[in-house]
Amino acid sequence: MYKTNINLEEMSQKEAIEFLHETVQPEIGSIPAYLLGDPTIYDLEHKRVFLKTWIFIGHESEIPNKNDFITRDVAGYSVILSRSADNQIRGLYNMCTHRGMKLCRADAGNKSSFTCPYHGFNFKNNGDCVGVPLQKDIYGESLDKSQMGLHKIRVESYKGLIFGTWNDEAESLDAFLGEFKWYIDIFAGRAEMEVVGPPQRFVIQSNWKIGADNFVGDSYHTMVTHGSIAKLGMVPSATYSKRGYQIHTTNGHGLNLGTPNPDFAFPEELKDEYKANLSEDQYEVLSNLKNMIGNIFPNLSFLISHTKIKGQLISNTSMRIWRPIAADKMEVITWFLVEKNASVDWKKRSRESFILTFSPSGIFEQDDTEVFTDITAAASGTMPLVKQLTFNYTMGLHRKPVTSFVGPGVVYDDKFTEANQRNFYRYWLDLMTN
Amino acid sequence: MTIERMLVTYEFEQWLYREAKLIDDIDFDGWFSLMHPTLKYQMPVRVNKEGTERPDYALDMFAFDDDIELLKIRVDRLKTDYAWAEIPPSRTRRLVNNVRLLDYVPNEKAVVNSYLLIYRSRSTDIHHDLISGERQDEFIYENGEWKLSKRFFIVDQTTINTRNLAIFV
Repeated sequence: MYKTNINLEEMSQKEAIEFLHETVQPEIGSIPAYLLGDPTIYDLEHKRVFLKTWIFIGHESEIPNKNDFITRDVAGYSVILSRSADNQIRGLYNMCTHRGMKLCRADAGNKSSFTCPYHGFNFKNNGDCVGVPLQKDIYGESLDKSQMGLHKIRVESYKGLIFGTWNDEAESLDAFLGEFKWYIDIFAGRAEMEVVGPPQRFVIQSNWKIGADNFVGDSYHTMVTHGSIAKLGMVPSATYSKRGYQIHTTNGHGLNLGTPNPDFAFPEELKDEYKANLSEDQYEVLSNLKNMIGNIFPNLSFLISHTKIKGQLISNTSMRIWRPIAADKMEVITWFLVEKNASVDWKKRSRESFILTFSPSGIFEQDDTEVFTDITAAASGTMPLVKQLTFNYTMGLHRKPVTSFVGPGVVYDDKFTEANQRNFYRYWLDLMTN
Repeated sequence: MTIERMLVTYEFEQWLYREAKLIDDIDFDGWFSLMHPTLKYQMPVRVNKEGTERPDYALDMFAFDDDIELLKIRVDRLKTDYAWAEIPPSRTRRLVNNVRLLDYVPNEKAVVNSYLLIYRSRSTDIHHDLISGERQDEFIYENGEWKLSKRFFIVDQTTINTRNLAIFV
């Protein structure tokens, strides 16, 4: 078993893929540690996961008006997401087509065109090249501006969530999300939702998959990692996190649905809006929801959390991406969402609860990041690879899914299983090896 | 500058130095006792603007947005046995300088701005985190003492380069 000569860097791509097939075994609940720290895996992931699949860019409410734009990173490349005068949302590669300079350095704004700081080429926010300084004088009739438009990224959205992909052959976003849309409806489509403020950003020395793994299926850690929250009386008991369902669908998506809840976790006065946007079954799930924690493959995690703060129950809805920067480093970008038609008081208290629990200062958030950092450090380097250290993902392998639940997907009737992580890694392995 | 103003500036410098010492020594109860019940404790999200438009921070999103009750929850949490983010505690050093007295009414209120640099070291990691920014503080004089009634901390990074804000600013 002990092979000191394992070195992914020296393997051919074919050999590395063969090695992945041999060592990554979600079916039996065995995931090797080296996936969380090896730079060769990180490089392969960039090509085979992040350049292949749909990546979350932003929410439609972040660019509500004509000429609004935001700049975001998609798989390592800066994208201007703009709403042009014809009200269409486009993703433009933030690179001048003349010499490659970055066109826009602001996080957000309102502009109908962008001018390159290098030679002054000017582009409309639909991507068209409309201005070249001294064009006639220096190019004569030879320059065809219609060939100089900005490169575009494929952009599609669902319930206000805008995704992009660099892969022109990728299936539609609709097909990629598939049955998981039933649950996204509850999270992002239950009412008109809006993002409040800019996203919060911070950097952690952690592999991105640990975050995705944590949100897709790890309700088990809540008892211990977040034990302080129960001690403070903000959640019922340390074991509350077991009750509910764990659900996954194809393409690695998964969530944990905390239920039942004796209290309605959302603004009462919006019940009609929820009923108008959801099916009866979806509304029933919403009515009994205590929390909802999940991950849209690969790295968009989402959360509805219901806690008691200052003696009052309040829920908050948020999402985050785990943006890879290196094998052992990621940027966490978090957004807070709220019902647009909620009362001013609800919006204020909901934002307050988000900041207290899941912002960079959040008292849930901060304990997770400590864990993520230490796992990454332990998994990095040569030893975990040559010693073939593995992590145990066998929880719930003996259990059968239930068929009585109203929603789609593979459903287990409590949240303490690792079926979702196995599903995440199964799809990850599919993409990495095909 | 009048002598009186110099003395008052000195007094607030000493107040801020003492505050820094209390949190760097992880005496959270001692630190919390410096706060006024009407406290507003905020850290807005800093953003990248195209040019020189100001303010270049969000008015509607914060990394901290606490009143006295929420700050008490954070302090109480750090005293449970489960606050993993700070077990063991970070070694921090808060360097306060450029202290400027902007407004002052004797025995009533004061507005004091200062610069803050936090050095943070965790566990055996030889790398450290630096958090830099400006504090805009307001004080209320009560029972013979100056209490902090408002802190607005403008951080100098749009992406914060520390694993969490389990520490105070």
